[in-house]
Amino acid sequence: MYAAITSVTLVGGEARPVEVQVHVGRQQEVFRLSGLGDTAVREAKDRVRAAIASTGIQFPNRTVTVNLAPADLPKAGTDFDLPIAIGVLAASGEIPGPRPAVSVGELALDGSVRAGYSSLGAAVLSARRRIPCLVASDVAPRAAVVPGSVVYGVASLAEAVDLLRYDDRAPVRAEPPASQTTVPDLADVEGQPLARRALEVAAAGGHHLLLYGPPGGGKTMLARRLPGILPPLGDEEAVEVALIHSAAGLRRDPEPVRPFRSPHHTASRAALVGGGSGVPVPGEVSLAHRGVLFLDELAEFPRANLDSLRQPLEDGYVTVARRGSTVRFPSRFHLVAATNPCPCGYDGDHRRPCVCRPSVVARFRQRVSGPLLDRMDLVVKVGRVEKLSLGELVGESSTTVAARVMEAVRFGAESDGGRIGGEARRVLLDALDKGLVTARGAVRLAGLARTIANLARVERIGEEHLAEAMALRGVW
Amino acid sequence: MIRRLGPDDVDYPAGLCDLEASPRVHLMGTTATGPGVAVVGTRRCTGYGLGLGRAFGAAIAEAGWSTISGLARGIDAAAHHGCLAAGGHAAAVLGSGVDVCYPVENRSLYDQILASGGAILSEYPPGTPPDKWRFPERNRIIAAMAAAVVVVEAAERGGALITARLAAEIGRPVFVVPGDVDRVASVGCNRLIKDGAHPVLGAEDLVSELELVIGPRRAAAPNGRHIPETGCDIETLAITWGLTLAETLVEVGRLELEGVVGRVGDMIVPR
Repeated sequence: MYAAITSVTLVGGEARPVEVQVHVGRQQEVFRLSGLGDTAVREAKDRVRAAIASTGIQFPNRTVTVNLAPADLPKAGTDFDLPIAIGVLAASGEIPGPRPAVSVGELALDGSVRAGYSSLGAAVLSARRRIPCLVASDVAPRAAVVPGSVVYGVASLAEAVDLLRYDDRAPVRAEPPASQTTVPDLADVEGQPLARRALEVAAAGGHHLLLYGPPGGGKTMLARRLPGILPPLGDEEAVEVALIHSAAGLRRDPEPVRPFRSPHHTASRAALVGGGSGVPVPGEVSLAHRGVLFLDELAEFPRANLDSLRQPLEDGYVTVARRGSTVRFPSRFHLVAATNPCPCGYDGDHRRPCVCRPSVVARFRQRVSGPLLDRMDLVVKVGRVEKLSLGELVGESSTTVAARVMEAVRFGAESDGGRIGGEARRVLLDALDKGLVTARGAVRLAGLARTIANLARVERIGEEHLAEAMALRGVW
Repeated sequence: MIRRLGPDDVDYPAGLCDLEASPRVHLMGTTATGPGVAVVGTRRCTGYGLGLGRAFGAAIAEAGWSTISGLARGIDAAAHHGCLAAGGHAAAVLGSGVDVCYPVENRSLYDQILASGGAILSEYPPGTPPDKWRFPERNRIIAAMAAAVVVVEAAERGGALITARLAAEIGRPVFVVPGDVDRVASVGCNRLIKDGAHPVLGAEDLVSELELVIGPRRAAAPNGRHIPETGCDIETLAITWGLTLAETLVEVGRLELEGVVGRVGDMIVPR
């Protein structure tokens, strides 16, 4: 007597099918489980046995063998409880010929179903395979957001059995998640016209940004407002981002607000780029995928950890190798870093003297110049607010700026992009000749100018766009 | 940061050596590398005087000289403002400690002078309150620091006349704006002219006269926008140039691409 039930696991932020194979033999009573599960998976045996008993069904007193295929793929978590239980009941004849479905969920000993972290993955697989999926009822409406999925919510094992026996229930309706993340508004930032402009350009072109200045100037405040002016995530992107969070054991609905991650400088390398024993877990660079990775106090991060950001920055993904599996997590993030100009924070301030020795300042600046500086298209000083006389940009709300950014992104996507006007080309070549910019610098300058032209909705990069790019580029 | 300068320091204002027992001065900011011209006048000035003060400050700055005044309300403030608007070096000599901004209403001016790389100077130690009797004494510093003194408006008695007299005593030429004979704010000026000061007939005339005293003015920058020798950040440049931030970014970028200016941190500096 044999049954195979489809379930799902997350590998590198992707939903991978898992076949839960159950065989019920004739020998003496024993319950075996194979397929590289972690402790939580192995403990499923006890929960499944109790949940089946609580549902009022006799657990087969024969040999039950469960295999989670592919058997060489490490698996974790409690989401295999439900498919194992269904498999046992199908193989022992309790559910004759269950209809194909993806099922996930943790079983409580009383037979009720609780949500694990794979519900969204199940919905993704449901859409891909065009079969329905069964998930815990409290998360079902959110999982049903996945385009093309057919989701049923089940509150208990009994309900699941019913559903598989009789096809008489309608799937749940999608309930777009109410955004749980509130992004602070740019209108709260006083002054800082230069930094605001830089933030807008960064948002419109996905340029990495370094903010520096004395403590209390508003560097962090500005960075936190970046997600609020970025274009919202598309449906599929939102699902992708939420899946990666699930893989890290974090709950995130497929909502349109882009993620904002700000790891502390004491975070380990594994926490930054991913790791974990057994099943690889995504790190901050992947949790910030399609969103913002904010490194506050950049100079405090250990050099080795910053070095490990190179691959994700360059390739847009990060490879985590663990015993038995190598997994690739996407990591296309928008980097924003902030730092003081010197250890005391007041170098270059005319109100308060800097108390650092020059050699200390030099060493400090060197630390920041390390691996990341040449990725920063924009370097901007965020001074203390005292230049309120520049009224033009003060108090603009995130909504206003976001609209301009959106327009620019759309314009950039529609135009063929890249063309640099004759005058701008001449100026750039002259600057190269004079050694004012390096070849690489010129390429990045042109990219920045492209974004500025997009913001102005101009097809051809003009000399004024190039000039603004040069002024915003900044130096550390 | 407040520094105390004596005659042996390189950035000690050279003109002060012409005073008996060259006084030590306290300095915030940066002293000018070139010569400076004092623009002084009454606090109770007319709108006409304010306009002239501003124009003179700007003209002197555009000629490449430092504008020296006393941060008082009226003509002093107008001259400082004009100088900053033209991107020049402004020096304010106070009758209080350099860290005491008097009058308080000129606080933002005081900040802008520092932010633009100008100088705040005083003979008195930090924290000294603005006592009335110190101001005439302060005026001799203004007179000595300057290569020439311009009086825009002055009543029959007042600080500006004291500055003019002290300047004449140590051999600084004094330029004066003539006014209506019955206008209170011009009585002192007209008296100075009668006593032998040079009348000036406007900003351009002033600069031509000053060229005879100081030497030729600086050639105008390529697009007429000045960046102080000591450097200036972009937001302050926008204020002094009277442009929007976007326009300023483009202008600065152009100068950078031409190689006319460079960067020291967030400061734009001439190369």
